[in-house]
Amino acid sequence: MSTEPIRSVKDLPQEENLFPGTAACAGCGGLLTLRHCLKMLGENVVIVNAAGCFTLLSIYPFTPFRSSWLYTAMACAPAGAQGVRDALDILLEKGKIDPEDNLKVVVLTGDGAAYDMGLSSTSGAIYRNLDFYYICYDNEAYGNTGFQESASTPFASRTKTSPAGKGSVKKDLFGIWNSHKPPYLATISPAYPVDLANKFKKAEQYKGPKLFISLIPCPPGWSTDPSHTFKLAKLAVETGFWALKESVFGEVEHTYVPERFKPVEEYLKEQGRFSHLFSPVRKEEQLGRVQEMVNEYWERFGILL
Amino acid sequence: MLKLRFHGRGGQGAKVASRTVGTAAFMEGCNVQDFPLYGAERRGAPISAFTRIARGQIMERGVIPDPDVIIVMDHTLLSDPQAAPLSGSNKGGVVFVNTPESPEQLKADYDIDALVITLDLTKIGLDMVGSSILSTLAGAVASRIIGIGEDSLKDAVEKELSGIIADRELLEKNIEAALYCFRSLEPVEMKTLQSEHGKSTVITMPFERARISSPAINAAASSILKQTGNWKVFRPFWDYDVCNKCMICVSRCPEGCISLNEEGFPSVDNEHCKGCLICVEECPKKAIKAVRGPVPDQVEVTGE
Repeated sequence: MSTEPIRSVKDLPQEENLFPGTAACAGCGGLLTLRHCLKMLGENVVIVNAAGCFTLLSIYPFTPFRSSWLYTAMACAPAGAQGVRDALDILLEKGKIDPEDNLKVVVLTGDGAAYDMGLSSTSGAIYRNLDFYYICYDNEAYGNTGFQESASTPFASRTKTSPAGKGSVKKDLFGIWNSHKPPYLATISPAYPVDLANKFKKAEQYKGPKLFISLIPCPPGWSTDPSHTFKLAKLAVETGFWALKESVFGEVEHTYVPERFKPVEEYLKEQGRFSHLFSPVRKEEQLGRVQEMVNEYWERFGILL
Repeated sequence: MLKLRFHGRGGQGAKVASRTVGTAAFMEGCNVQDFPLYGAERRGAPISAFTRIARGQIMERGVIPDPDVIIVMDHTLLSDPQAAPLSGSNKGGVVFVNTPESPEQLKADYDIDALVITLDLTKIGLDMVGSSILSTLAGAVASRIIGIGEDSLKDAVEKELSGIIADRELLEKNIEAALYCFRSLEPVEMKTLQSEHGKSTVITMPFERARISSPAINAAASSILKQTGNWKVFRPFWDYDVCNKCMICVSRCPEGCISLNEEGFPSVDNEHCKGCLICVEECPKKAIKAVRGPVPDQVEVTGE
C-alpha cells in the first residue's frame, strides 16, 4: 500500500472485501464501518468474531467475506486471535507458508464484548503485545439481543433494561486500552471514511496491538430512520460527543476537531432513545448534564468550546 | 379453535399485529395465545407470528403449520422459499395479502386454493399514518376476517400501542387507519371457536454429529447468492442529468451495493439494496429520489 495519505472519498480503494446479502439491518452503521475497514485491510485477513450482531454476517452456507472467519464466544476473541497468530507464526517459521501469504489477524466485536465481557482477554492480549487488529463496532448497547444496557451506553440513553434512561456514564474504553500504551489506538467513524482510511494506513507500520473503536448508529436500537445513519454518525462528531483521535504508544492526539461545535442537543433530539429528554416535558437538568460532560472532555485537552 | 399465522418482514409489525388481534379476541372473552418467531436475522428479514383463539382451553403449543387464516404483510414474501407463507393453507381457509393486486390475479399467479382477500395496506399506511409500519392495519384486517367487533379492535389497538407510542396524535392516526382497514373488508364465515384436543405425540430431535452441526463455509463471498432486495419499501432512483459523479453515494452505502456503470454514473444492485435510503438522504445534488418498489407494478423502468 502506498504511504501517501488519502485526501478524498474518490481516493478510497475501489476493491470491496465485504459483500452484500448479509442479514444486517438496513442502514447498519457497523456494516458501513466494517466495509471501509476491510477496504484498507485487504483480503489477506482472518477475522476473529466474538458473538454479537456480526455473528449474523457468516450464516452457513453464506459468507460476505473473501477472507477467513472464526467465531468465538463473547469474552474470548482476543484469545482466539492469539491462537491464530501463534499458528501462523509457527507455519512461517517452519517455512510451511510463504511470507507473502501471511494473514492479518483481526478481532471484530461489538461494545458488549469490548467494554464488558471481553475486557480482560483484550487487556491480556495487549499486555502480551499480540500482533493483531481489534475493531469494536460500538452501538452503545447489546443490540443483538434487543438493545439492553452495556457499559458503553451513554448517560440518559434509554435501553430495554434502562427504560427511564441510564443513570451512570459511558465507560472510557479508549482510556482503559490506552493505559496499556499500545502501539496504535484510534477512534473512528463511518461518517469520516478518509480519516478512518488514513488511520489504518498509519497503524499498518506498527507490530503489536492496533485497536479501533467506531461509534456506529443503530437504527432499531436508537429508534432512528435507517436513512439517518450517516447523518447521525457525523453529528456525533460535529457536536463533540464522539472525539476522533488516535494514540501512538499512549500519546493521544485528536485527528479532527470541528471548527465550531454544534450543540449536543442536535444529535440527541434525532434519536428515539433520547426522546424522553424532550417530550412530554424537556428535562433541562439531564440535557445540561450531557452538554457539560462533552464540554469537560474537550476542556481537558485545552480545546475550548 | 381458530389459528392465525402472520408473515411479515422484521420491523413491519407482524408481532404487534398478532398481539392486537389476540388482545381484541381476549376482550371478547376468548382464550388466546400469541407469539412471534424469528431466526438469527434482522429488520427486513422474513418473520412470522402466530395467534390461537378459542372459547375453551388451548392445549396446543408451538408454531402453527395449518392455519385457518394467513396474513401476508408483504407481497414479495409469496415467492420467498424460506418464508413459504402459503404452506399449510387449505380450501376452507383465508389468505390475506397486502398488495394492490386483485385476489383473482394472486389466485392464478400462486395457485391458491383458499379464499384470497387483498388490500394495499402499505398505501393506506403511508397515506393515513405516514409510515410503512403496518402492525395495527394488519391486526385490524385479521380481526375483521375472523369476525371480531369494532369496539374490541379499537380498545386492543389503544392498549397495544399506548405501551409503544408516546405520541398521542400518531396513536389516533393508527386507530383511524385500523378502523378504515377494518371497514374495508367483510367478515368471513369461520368455523367454531371450540377447542380441539389432538392425540399427544412424543417429539424427538435427532442428534447431529459435531462435524455436521458445526460446518465450515469454503466458498468466499457466497452471501451475494442471498438476495435482500425485497426488504425495501422504497428504492433509490438516480437522475443522471443532475448527478455529478461525486461518489458520495458509493462511499456511504453500508451494503456496498452501489457501483459505477460504464459512463461512470452510480447504479444500484436492486437484488441486494435493502432500501435504507442513506444515498437519498446524503446526495449533495439531490439527484436521487426514493420510489416505491419492488412490487413489479410499481417499479418505474424509465431511464434504467
